[in-house]
Amino acid sequence: MEKIIVTVLGKDRPGIIALISGHLYNLDCNLENVNQMILQNEFAGFFIVDLPENLNMEAVEKELSAKANGQGLNVYVNRLDTDDATDEPITGETFFITTIGPDQKGLVARFSGIMARFNANITNLKAVFKGGDDPMANIMSYQIDIGPDIDKAGLFEALKAKGRELNLDVRIQHKNIFNVTNKI
Amino acid sequence: MLEDHEILSTIEMVKNENLDVRAVTLGVNLFDCISSDLDTFKSNIRKKIVTHAGHLVSTCDQVGKKYGIKVVNKRISTSPIALVGAAFKTAQLVEIAQELNDIARTVNIDFIGGFSALVEKGMATGDLALIEALPEALASTQRVCASVNVATTRAGINMDGVLKMAQTIKQAAALTADEDGLGCAKLCVFSNIPQDMPFMAGSMLGPGVGDAVINVGVSGPGVVKKAIERNLGESHSLTLGQIAELIKNTSCKVTRVGELIGREVAQELGVRFGVVDLSLAPTPTVGDSIGEIFQALGLTSIGVPGSTAALAMLNDAVKKGGAFASSHVGGLSGAFIPVSEDLNIARAAEEGYLSLEKLESMTCVCSVGLDMVPVPGDITEECLAGIIADEMAIGMINTKTTATRIIPVPGKKAGEKVYFGGLLGEASIMEVPHHLLKDRFVTFGGRIPAPIHSLKN
Repeated sequence: MEKIIVTVLGKDRPGIIALISGHLYNLDCNLENVNQMILQNEFAGFFIVDLPENLNMEAVEKELSAKANGQGLNVYVNRLDTDDATDEPITGETFFITTIGPDQKGLVARFSGIMARFNANITNLKAVFKGGDDPMANIMSYQIDIGPDIDKAGLFEALKAKGRELNLDVRIQHKNIFNVTNKI
Repeated sequence: MLEDHEILSTIEMVKNENLDVRAVTLGVNLFDCISSDLDTFKSNIRKKIVTHAGHLVSTCDQVGKKYGIKVVNKRISTSPIALVGAAFKTAQLVEIAQELNDIARTVNIDFIGGFSALVEKGMATGDLALIEALPEALASTQRVCASVNVATTRAGINMDGVLKMAQTIKQAAALTADEDGLGCAKLCVFSNIPQDMPFMAGSMLGPGVGDAVINVGVSGPGVVKKAIERNLGESHSLTLGQIAELIKNTSCKVTRVGELIGREVAQELGVRFGVVDLSLAPTPTVGDSIGEIFQALGLTSIGVPGSTAALAMLNDAVKKGGAFASSHVGGLSGAFIPVSEDLNIARAAEEGYLSLEKLESMTCVCSVGLDMVPVPGDITEECLAGIIADEMAIGMINTKTTATRIIPVPGKKAGEKVYFGGLLGEASIMEVPHHLLKDRFVTFGGRIPAPIHSLKN
């Protein structure tokens, strides 16, 4: 069975999920995963879809684009390569890297660059830069997976050193501390 | 999935509200070290403690770093030395205290507790030898903490023990007169002493606790105070019931942090995890004070009318939140009100808001008792024994722990300043009414019988 990922981008408004999922339903597609986010006023949605036997990717793309483009939405459809999928459990630990401090250009590039250099995978990132003097208005929060082969001490020191250089308060904490203080 | 505000609120608790783990205490059972030969005994206890605690500090630091939560104090408690060292004479017990002090230095911890005796029903030879060793032991060491249990709800109050402890406290103060009686800051007298408390100076490992165990003392008065202030700022219509709920929820979070860290330290050290002690323990740092919580609750100062009710609510809410958070709760579990260790409480005493009598009444509804209370150096043994007996009676009758850590400051009078330094803080000497009385009551000796367990009123 063919699997595809549909990416939808556009100005946020009510009805986008209903529109896309409605058309996919009409095409007899099965949704496996859906996720969406809104950055400022821009919508981004991701749909992982199982296609029925009698339908191919190109047909879905044609149908969705025809319906969505007229509504100011851009639709991209790609084949999902399931060969890379692995059932191996993740053996790493999850840490949150939070930076608080003055806004400046290149923050995400510099911190994510360090993580990439140490081969630490970012599994979630939220960054808000409102500018101004309030440090709590300028925050990056990275959720990263650190596998057993990663030089954890080296990575953490590099992140902290960058924080000192840029006058940012960098906090590195294992995910469990947030779970115990927020989840029952 | 964690929300942004959850991540930020946790960071806020650490960054601005002094959330930390106040004490990770490794309890080490010393019964298998017993020998009648002093050198063998000293060698045995050194070997056992260093084997278990050699990596205590580095492990706590490493786990603290992982979670971004500081483990402020790493400590050790031992089996009561009066039991494991019962064969020794007073001078030998002083040597044992000095050996413990040196062991503490070797493993780089600031306090080791367990130079203790349990005498609620009577004093055995070893108990008496240890109590008589206390002044010299405390004067000649810096890191050894001592405790003596003189009362329990089931045994009553050993009044011979009470008077003996009053005399011992006076002697300990005299031997450390040049440090404002600092020896007494490391000596607690207890009613219903817990076997698993991680907090000093009263920490010891009870005989029934096991071979080696990690007990954790969480703290968080700053977090509780900020939570109250934040919510009162957002809503002026909160009732005390809602504030109690807020304290309960906050205490639950703080306890879970302590348990997470304690369990991981125990696992790394290969020892059992014991309990979380839920006590709110202050330090002399602004923003890390129990006294400030009273002000957040709308009282002018700790000690004014309403303080006992506020403390009762605070203490109960802390227990409820903690008990929900962890199934292994022990130690004292409540709010501490140590005078010199809490800047705000020390100031309340100085400014006349908090008297010794009010402090005593507040101990009816909170953990510990008359803690870190400096009193005039010329207080009589009888008066001191009377104060101790009163506090023991509160614990005995109410089936709870109470303790005294009173420091008669040699050569100083009420109102004069004393400085103990570090976490022990500073304060003005409290006024003790009728402190020169030599009443006969405490000299009768014997035992005040255990209270009746029915007909409660």
